[in-house]
Amino acid sequence: MQEVVGAVSLGSIYLMFALGLSAAWGTIGILNFAHGSIFMFSVFVSHQALQVTDIPIVGLALIAVVVGALLSFLTQALAFDQIIKRSANEHAAETRILIGGIGVAMIPLAIAAHVTKNSPFGLQSAATGIEVWQLGGVRISSVQVATIVCALTIAAALGVWLRRSRQGLALRSLGVDTEVASLMGIDRRRLAWGTMAFAGGLAGLAGILLTLNLGAITAESGDSLLIKAFACVVLGGVGSTLGVVTGCFMLAFAETWVLTQTGGLWVEAVSFGLIFAVLLLRPQGIFGREEVRRV
Amino acid sequence: MTGFYDTNLVLIQGTLVAVLLALSVQVPLRFGIFSLAGVGSYGIGAYLSANLVLRYEMASVPTIVLTGLVTAIVGLVLGLVIYRLGGLYLAMATIAFDLMVAVVALNGGEWTGGPVGLFGIFSDLTMGIMVAVVAMCVVAIHLTERGKLARRITAVREDIELASSVGTNVRAYRLAAFVVSGFIGGVAGSLNTLTRYAVGLQDVSFHLVIVALTMIIVGGALSWRGAVIGAVLFTWLPEVLAFVGDWQELVYGVIVALAGIFLPTGLYGLWGRARRRITSRRDKSSTVGTTKSSSDQAGHHSKTAAHPSPDRKVAPR
Repeated sequence: MQEVVGAVSLGSIYLMFALGLSAAWGTIGILNFAHGSIFMFSVFVSHQALQVTDIPIVGLALIAVVVGALLSFLTQALAFDQIIKRSANEHAAETRILIGGIGVAMIPLAIAAHVTKNSPFGLQSAATGIEVWQLGGVRISSVQVATIVCALTIAAALGVWLRRSRQGLALRSLGVDTEVASLMGIDRRRLAWGTMAFAGGLAGLAGILLTLNLGAITAESGDSLLIKAFACVVLGGVGSTLGVVTGCFMLAFAETWVLTQTGGLWVEAVSFGLIFAVLLLRPQGIFGREEVRRV
Repeated sequence: MTGFYDTNLVLIQGTLVAVLLALSVQVPLRFGIFSLAGVGSYGIGAYLSANLVLRYEMASVPTIVLTGLVTAIVGLVLGLVIYRLGGLYLAMATIAFDLMVAVVALNGGEWTGGPVGLFGIFSDLTMGIMVAVVAMCVVAIHLTERGKLARRITAVREDIELASSVGTNVRAYRLAAFVVSGFIGGVAGSLNTLTRYAVGLQDVSFHLVIVALTMIIVGGALSWRGAVIGAVLFTWLPEVLAFVGDWQELVYGVIVALAGIFLPTGLYGLWGRARRRITSRRDKSSTVGTTKSSSDQAGHHSKTAAHPSPDRKVAPR
């Protein structure tokens, strides 16, 4: 039972991180390889802010969200927009966006690794306010509750917004056919900026909650999370909000199960194995439609 | 000269290994396959060679050859498995392959030495053998960049439908890319183990993916010359730019990002473009347009047209 609580809160962290990644990928077609780095750097800035003054947890989360959104927006405006402008077709742009993202990702990582001298950093003085409740033999902390509530609310809100709102429709139409959508008068650039800022903000929030859950993260933490998030998105199906939710919780439960069965060392292999298995058996994912855009 | 050679031996060996590592990712790219599996082959090759030397006391040449053959087969199997995937999915599947190699290396017990790695891997590898091995690989790849074969590869990369319509077996070409990539990656890993006398988790880390990509993106992805430029640049840059020091990773990040955005064909492509511009300007400025120079010009252009870059600039709308 304790494991279930752990798995659900882990899945919720994955969900917040992966939602942004999947939203950008499924709509504006951008797989942002700097997403993990942005996630880490938001926590890093909050950590630095905490060194200077005492800020309550909500303030720290706000800082992380703003930093994440800003970095993600800048990545889009300064790197990805330029690449798209200079690419002959979508396929060429796809590869170059991946490479550009890897380059961009190295920059915050190098800064954080240099300042922290590669040692883990956390939000210690803020973490003292965390309460732990005992519910019939199961321990659950206020951070875990906040994580689960935040993740599920945001996922539901995003899902509904994408389905019901005009802008959601516009975004989804970009995912189906960029060119036709542009002809219909949809401003791709502005929507892309908004989507990326939203994704970055979510990554920042996920960063704060994960750090409070774990105690500390390192400069490299974002990279492994990125691969896991990719596994979740592929598992559920690109472009499906329900798919991301399912994918994230399936991965979290699978990892928790492997952890209890084997001890830590093989856990990392779960996500890589899942990526492989899904791509081979059902490339469109559990909830994915048949690929509209041919590669 | 010998003084320079002796003091920089490690860097020279490092450059040779880097050339092969970069080529193992570049070859599939030239076939239009964004596969990073070469890095995984490098890891397998590094550990396999260590075991061959430590356990079976094999000499360096058979170790390198056997390692290359095994990783070529691994490449073939991987290629058969993920053949259907394309674009980002394929890239991510191969990254997953690389990371799985890393997890196996960590959990491999006495075969991999776990987190510590394996040490004391002494063999009879000489600089002569190393140079010969690298030269053979480079020459073999150079031959695929000439004539009919080069044009077929370009067709497979640029337009699969066109390539199959003129009778090219696209599937065979794509599988060949995986095999070659596996072979070269394995040989690179083997050479690295035999020159460093040790193998560890740093030989299977995600960082290597970034290193290999950096070299190719900055050097240029469409010719082996790009891989060589990138390998030389990024092996020697830290030495030359001592002041970069602690901020090396940051500088690399900026370079990769800028190259990714502004230099789709890398430094080698830039050079090619500059050369073309100079020749065309010279032709324009010559008042007497002799038949010879204009036919040269035409020949030159048709040759370059056979190698269009995948990311030709389009005028912004």
